[in-house]
Amino acid sequence: MSETVVRRTVVVTDPMGVHARTALAISKIVGQGKSQVTLIKKDRQAKATEVLQIMTMVAELGERVEIEAIGPDAAAVADALEPLFAGMFNDETQESA
Amino acid sequence: MQKLQGIAVSPGAVIGEALVMDTEGFRIPRRFVARDAVVDELERFNKAVTAAAVEIAHHRETVSAELGEKYGAIFEAHLQMLQDSRLRGEVEELIRQRHYSPEYAVSHVLRRYAQVFQRLESSHLAERANDIFDIEKRLLRHLLGRRREGISRLTSPVLVLAHNLTPSETSNLDRRFVRGFVTEIGGPGSHTAIVAEALEIPAVVGTGPFLTDVSGGETVIIDGDQGLVILSPDEETLAQYRREAEEKRIQATRLEPLRDLPAETRDNVRIELLGNIEFPYEVDHCVDRGADGVGLYRTEFLYLGAETEPTEEIHYQAYSRVVQAMGKRPVVIRTFDLGADKMPNMPHPEDNRNPCLGLRSIRLALRNLPVFRTQLRAVLRASVLGNVHIMFPLVSTLLELRQAKMVLADVMEDLQEHNLPFNRDLPVGMMVETPAAAMMADRFVEEVDFLSIGTNDLIQYTLAVDRANKDVGGLYNPVDPAVLRLIAMAIEAADRKQVPISMCGQMSGSPLYTILLLGMGLRRFSVTPSAIPEVKNLCRRVTIPECQIVAERVMTMENARDVKNYLKEEVKKYVEEVAE
Repeated sequence: MSETVVRRTVVVTDPMGVHARTALAISKIVGQGKSQVTLIKKDRQAKATEVLQIMTMVAELGERVEIEAIGPDAAAVADALEPLFAGMFNDETQESA
Repeated sequence: MQKLQGIAVSPGAVIGEALVMDTEGFRIPRRFVARDAVVDELERFNKAVTAAAVEIAHHRETVSAELGEKYGAIFEAHLQMLQDSRLRGEVEELIRQRHYSPEYAVSHVLRRYAQVFQRLESSHLAERANDIFDIEKRLLRHLLGRRREGISRLTSPVLVLAHNLTPSETSNLDRRFVRGFVTEIGGPGSHTAIVAEALEIPAVVGTGPFLTDVSGGETVIIDGDQGLVILSPDEETLAQYRREAEEKRIQATRLEPLRDLPAETRDNVRIELLGNIEFPYEVDHCVDRGADGVGLYRTEFLYLGAETEPTEEIHYQAYSRVVQAMGKRPVVIRTFDLGADKMPNMPHPEDNRNPCLGLRSIRLALRNLPVFRTQLRAVLRASVLGNVHIMFPLVSTLLELRQAKMVLADVMEDLQEHNLPFNRDLPVGMMVETPAAAMMADRFVEEVDFLSIGTNDLIQYTLAVDRANKDVGGLYNPVDPAVLRLIAMAIEAADRKQVPISMCGQMSGSPLYTILLLGMGLRRFSVTPSAIPEVKNLCRRVTIPECQIVAERVMTMENARDVKNYLKEEVKKYVEEVAE
């Protein structure tokens, strides 16, 4: 199985920043996948399975966060994470439309 | 060393050890554990985490079911944070390496996380500190279990630092060991302020958030004169405060001989100095200072923090203790002066947009006659034990006064029917604390036996200023000419009818205003007991004509600042130093 490394920079467009629910959604997706994911904001890093770490990294509206995924499904995981930084959750695609 | 500026609400300065209360008002014990207990303590921490996790999971299900998944997710996030490996590692490290108790370690670590959010400028992110505090509270609740301690059980002197203190917390505290208070919120009228004054300990309120920077056990200075709180003071500052404390002690010793001397001016005019009290035990402070009586016995403490409405017997016990201690000297019992929100078992008013101008005090009493009557019965029953006066607060119309007197007459009849003794001639008075009451004083004096000017509310209502409001608090001033004119009106009206008038607000306890008030004709001062010696000292050094000259000059001035500066100069002619 190949160890792919995917690095992707996203800009937080959710006006509320990366809040508790975003952090939770991130940790869930990463937990279900097979890749190791780290979020990096300037000099801070957070293990993407740890809600508290993601939250205390404090990513606010307009800030850049790098997603670093290492593993067989790295690209897929990064794809799934990206919309979360814009505040888009699967559970509310209908109601927020 | 860190300095915080707050609002000074109870004078004095004190140096001591900090005791931090958590957001729910429970103390966070700074305890170290023995080396051989570490394994057990780690186990205790892990159990608490498990228990808290079960609780959160349960909570999550309920919330999801009731409000939807979206809201339940918040608790799932809490659950994840609680189980965060780094967080747990940090707490365990503190227990293992530094032998912190799990409670202290949890509080220490979580507060550091909370700080990350609190330092942020954008408010919605800063709010997230509440998520962390929520987890902290939950863990502490499980760790402390039934051993959760308030400030009722203390073993050594402490300075209590809290976000806010509720009436039940302050009323349960162990008075022997609490030497000062600091609260992050609150203003001069806050409960903490009243209790601190009653206990005669320094207090500063409204400092803004700082509790995340302290974890308890540090040395703290509370300067209740300047409204300063100094965390971990340096040696120089400590030395300075110790020196000042020593000077104060010497000053107090110097005033001590005044205790048994009357408050009499140099031209032999006898001034009455009475004490303001809130709690029955304070009557001892009045006796100690040689007070001429109790000029204001606030009864709010009977209701505040009580689970149920106090019974007539509870009222009676409190009143009789004070009345008996005072013997023949007068005790002015003021009926409850609260809003419905502070009363046990009373429905909150539907319209409470503006509580200060809403249903409170005598207005509330007249709308809740059973509660009012219970208090009146107890006051009347206590009236045979000594020299009891009854006083109604916040009266603004003649009709209100008449209604209150009618209820009193009705209760008297009731007591008579039951053959219960009371003093039918007990003097009935009212507070002058609304501009309306001051302006109508000439009519009110026809229907009362005495008046008492309550300056705190009178200033607030006259100048339309909430003194706890940082933006406008500077406008709050006892010597604003508008306030002084109303005070003068009330005194003149009372004098014309020969009705005794006193002043029981904070203004009367400040020696800065004594000369002015004497000059305006005031002969009865009801002050916080600790202020009696200084006010008496000043009374004994002046003559009434000297004071009258000062008062006349003041009444020509156009703003509070000029009045204050002038008074400072005048007071200096009689005494060396005067605090405001």
